[in-house]
Amino acid sequence: MRRAKLLLAAPVALAGSGCVQVSAPDKPIEINLNINIRQEVVVRLQQDVKELIDKNPGVF
Amino acid sequence: MSRRLKLILAAGITVAAVTAGATVAYAMQGDAAAELRASGQAGEQADGYLGVVGSASAALRSQVDSVNIKRRAYYTDLAAKRGAKIEEVAATTACELFRTKIGAGQYYRLPDGVWRQRDGTTPIPLPGYCG
Repeated sequence: MRRAKLLLAAPVALAGSGCVQVSAPDKPIEINLNINIRQEVVVRLQQDVKELIDKNPGVF
Repeated sequence: MSRRLKLILAAGITVAAVTAGATVAYAMQGDAAAELRASGQAGEQADGYLGVVGSASAALRSQVDSVNIKRRAYYTDLAAKRGAKIEEVAATTACELFRTKIGAGQYYRLPDGVWRQRDGTTPIPLPGYCG
């Protein structure tokens, strides 16, 4: 019975550690306009970013 | 009026009130960023976040912060998915917002830190890395 309980607990623990926790910062975000980015990175991310903007009209 | 009928009426009114409240809250959320840009009190920055133009009330500041906190969460998520830095996702988003979301007379801020107003339908001059 004890072993059965352990086996039951394992997936719960795995599920708990598997999710990414995003917590909101409690102080205002500092603005740094010194942007250091290569154009190839922009090109690579562009499609994902377009989708992000389209899917979240209130935020963007 | 029977007691039961009164209860049913009260429950109905409560449901209607809660629904109306939620609708208002949703509408405020619906296009918060667009409304902030349109107000002229906030604008888009090259770092991918909204900024306050000039001095602003605490209420406006908190609306801007609220949008930025959500953006930060989305940037963090996408950066992790693509193995990129949060700042890279944010700057790429700014390129796209500058291209598509700033209306005539609305404010934007390039890496030089100066707030400018979009002149009519003239495209915004994009930073070189925007491609």
